[in-house]
Amino acid sequence: MKDQYTISFLNEEAVLISFANKIDCEINDRVIELHRLLEQTPFPGLIESVPAYASLAVYFNRSELPKASPLSVFSFVESFLKNLISRLPAGTFAERRKIKIPVLYDGEDLPALADQRQLKTEEIISIHTSVPYRVFMLGFLPGFPYMGMVDARIAAPRKITPRTCVPAGSVGIAGFQTGIYPQASPGGWQLIGRTPLKIFDAIKNPPGMLMAGDEIIFFAVSQNEFNALNEY
Amino acid sequence: MSIKIIKPAMITTLVAGPRKGYRRWGIGAGGAMDMVAMKVSNFLVGNEGDQAALELGYSSSQILILHDSLISASGKGFELYLNDKLFPLWHPVKVKANTLLRLTKTPGGTWAYLAVQGGWKAEDWLGSCTTNSAARKGGYLGRMLQTNDMVEAETNYLADETGSLPWSISVPLLNQFYSPFNEIRCMPSIETDWLSESSKQVFSSGEFGVSSQSNRMGYRLNGPHLFVKEKNELVSSPVEVGIIQLLPDGNLVMLMADSQTTGGYPRIASVAQADLPKLAQHLPGEKIYFKWISFLEAENLLQDRDTRLAELKHSCHLQLSLMR
Repeated sequence: MKDQYTISFLNEEAVLISFANKIDCEINDRVIELHRLLEQTPFPGLIESVPAYASLAVYFNRSELPKASPLSVFSFVESFLKNLISRLPAGTFAERRKIKIPVLYDGEDLPALADQRQLKTEEIISIHTSVPYRVFMLGFLPGFPYMGMVDARIAAPRKITPRTCVPAGSVGIAGFQTGIYPQASPGGWQLIGRTPLKIFDAIKNPPGMLMAGDEIIFFAVSQNEFNALNEY
Repeated sequence: MSIKIIKPAMITTLVAGPRKGYRRWGIGAGGAMDMVAMKVSNFLVGNEGDQAALELGYSSSQILILHDSLISASGKGFELYLNDKLFPLWHPVKVKANTLLRLTKTPGGTWAYLAVQGGWKAEDWLGSCTTNSAARKGGYLGRMLQTNDMVEAETNYLADETGSLPWSISVPLLNQFYSPFNEIRCMPSIETDWLSESSKQVFSSGEFGVSSQSNRMGYRLNGPHLFVKEKNELVSSPVEVGIIQLLPDGNLVMLMADSQTTGGYPRIASVAQADLPKLAQHLPGEKIYFKWISFLEAENLLQDRDTRLAELKHSCHLQLSLMR
C-alpha cells in the first residue's frame, strides 16, 4: 500500500505524521500500525508516539539522537520515519485487543434522545451494544477514549451548553463518536449511561485500561449488576 | 525541614521536571510554567534542576519556614521578604527556623519558584513529581496548596543566621532568558497554511494582549482576529505546549504547561521552546508581538538556552562546593 502522508514538526522535540484529516477506520489502522512498528523499532532518543484519528505524533529527546545528523534533528527523524513507513505491512491489521465494558443505560440524555429519534430507550441500548467500537485515540482527559463509529440512528451532536460536571464513568455520544469519561469533568457529550469499571486508575501503571487500537463491546447491565461491579 | 503555608498565592503547586511517555494515555508532560526559573532556583541550592519546587503565581503569598534551610526564590514579578527584610531573588539564602517568608507581587512577571536544598518532598507519579490536576496526582496530593498545608524538604540544613550567600548569577546572563520580553518567536505549524495571507501578516505585525481567561492550561489572547482561507473542520490531533490554536471566533489560544494532549483547532504557530518561560511570565493585559522564525533558528535558540543553563548549573554547584 502506498501511503499518502506529510511529516511536519510540532516543536523542536516532536514531529507529526499526518495521513489525512478525517475519521476513517482504514486510515486510523495505518496510524496505529505505524505506532506499533515504532514501538518495536524505536530510534535512540524516542520518548513515545501518540496516535490520533489520522495522525501520529512522535516525541523525542534531542540530546539523545544520533549525532550524525548534520543540520537539524528534524532531518534525522524525518528520514527514519519515512523509512519506517515504507516498511509498513500492506493491508489492515488483525490484532486488536477485545474488551467488554458493562454499562448501566440510565443516562440523563437517554429519554430525550429516544424521544427525538422516536425510538424506545431499549432500542437505543440495543443499537449502541450491537456493534464493536474501535478506540481511535485517547485525549481530552487522562484516559478518555474516542471511539466509533456510532450507528446513524443514534448519532447525536454535542450539547449546546456543556454540563459543568459529568460524573466519572459516564458513557456518552458526540456525533458518530462514543466515549467514556474517566474522571469527573465538564463535558458536552450526550450521556446515555455509565460503566461501573474504572477505565482510568491513577495507582496503576499504565493508568489507562484502554489503548488506541482496542476493540470495545458494550453490554447492558442492571442496577444490581452495576452495584456488584462498581469500582468507584 | 518543613514549611507551613500561611497564605497561598492564587495558584500554588509543587512542580518538577516533565512527566514523559504517557501522552498516549492522554497524560500531558506538565511541569513548570517557567522552567528556566524553576531550574535555576534549584541550581542555586545545589540541586540538579528538576527536583520539586513550589510554583506561586499571580498574587502574594506567605510561608512560615519552620526549620533551618537553604532556599532560593526565583522568577519574575515578585519581591522576597524574610521577617520583613528584603532579600534578592535568584540568590541562595540561608534561613533560620521560624522565619516568615513573603513573596510580594510586583509588576513585570507572573510566576515565582521556591526551591530548597534537596528538593521538596512530593508524590512521584509516573516518573515525575509535578502536579497533574486533571488526574489529581503528583506533587502535593495532586492539588493546589492551601492555608495550613505543610511541605517537607528531602534533606536538613543548619543555618548560622538568616542571610544571602555571598555569590549569585549575573543579571545580564539572566536577562538573556527573558529579553526582548515582549517578542515571542514562533515557527510555522501544521495548519499555518490554512491562514489567509493577510492573517499570516497580521499575526506577525499585530499587537496581542494576554487575556484574563488564562491559566496553567492555556493563555488566551485579545487582539486582531485571524481568518482561515476556507472553513475546514479539523479532526482531533496531537498538540504540544507552545502551540498556538485559532479558535472559531478568530481569537488565539496558546497552550501552556498543563495543556491537553490533543486538540481540534487549527495549529497556526508553535512558540520556540526557548521563549516559553518569558511567554509564561506575561500577566493578563500585557502586550506581546509574534515574530516568525525557522525551525533551525528555534533549534539554535534552544541549544543556546540549554548550554547557558548547563553552565549556570556548573557554576552554582562549584560555588556551593567551595563553601564546604
